Amino acid sequence: MSDTDLLDRLLAGEQKAYRELVARYQGAMRAVAYAIVGSRNADEVVQDAWLAVVRSLSGFQGRSSLKTWLLTITANTAKTRLKHNRREVLLDDLAAPHGTVGEERFSDDGHWLLAPHAWHQDSPEALLTEDELRECLEHTLASLSELQASVLVLRERQGLELEAICNLLDISLSNARVLLHRARLKVFATLEHFEETGQC
Amino acid sequence: MLTCKELVAHSSDYLDGQMTLRQRLAVRAHLAMCGNCRRFIRQMKLTQAVIRQMPEDELPELDALAERLAQARRHND
Repeated sequence: MSDTDLLDRLLAGEQKAYRELVARYQGAMRAVAYAIVGSRNADEVVQDAWLAVVRSLSGFQGRSSLKTWLLTITANTAKTRLKHNRREVLLDDLAAPHGTVGEERFSDDGHWLLAPHAWHQDSPEALLTEDELRECLEHTLASLSELQASVLVLRERQGLELEAICNLLDISLSNARVLLHRARLKVFATLEHFEETGQC
Repeated sequence: MLTCKELVAHSSDYLDGQMTLRQRLAVRAHLAMCGNCRRFIRQMKLTQAVIRQMPEDELPELDALAERLAQARRHND
């Protein structure tokens, strides 16, 4: 269903349309809230954002996509809550369960010392059939900082452009690139570890 | 000439299209000659696909929330 069709039904107050809206966008909204206010207040911010969405629905002009509009409202709701204690953008890297692809993998001249091994599976579907690996990946994602996890989710799962992520979260492009890269390498390290050892 | 370590450090920029043409060509030239880095990039793409396809948490109160929002909307007018 297109945004326009959905919007008409939302304006009419049709419950099924709201179900569809929430199912489609709540994940992305939660990632935005999580990045800005942290896990403790994220759910409350998302609830407030939904009410703000309902209040201003008639004013939605379609100048941006519905998704961008919803995420902007979420970011604004989160920032209002945060106004008096704006957090620093933390680039500090927390340790992940299986580390990362670090310096120790390379020789002084920059060649691989410990090159990546071939993995047993070469499709995401095949990899994700392993329950233990799925749990292991959840564990790695949970080890990321709130901001790092959100940037990863917004980019990979929600398919947002880096520039859009920067605008929503008020971070610079270079910070977003660092956060995303480090997050990916940690997930990579978990997959690699599991493919090599067969355990988490 | 780009080293393997540098290629890994800039791999996300490569995957996200955040490189100048010159940097991109340098990565391509390295990949043409280096099987280890080709494998690394392939596995990074697989890592991205895995994250994309990981099942999302179910929303437990989806129906309740939808009902509340639809009601709020109807009362809004």
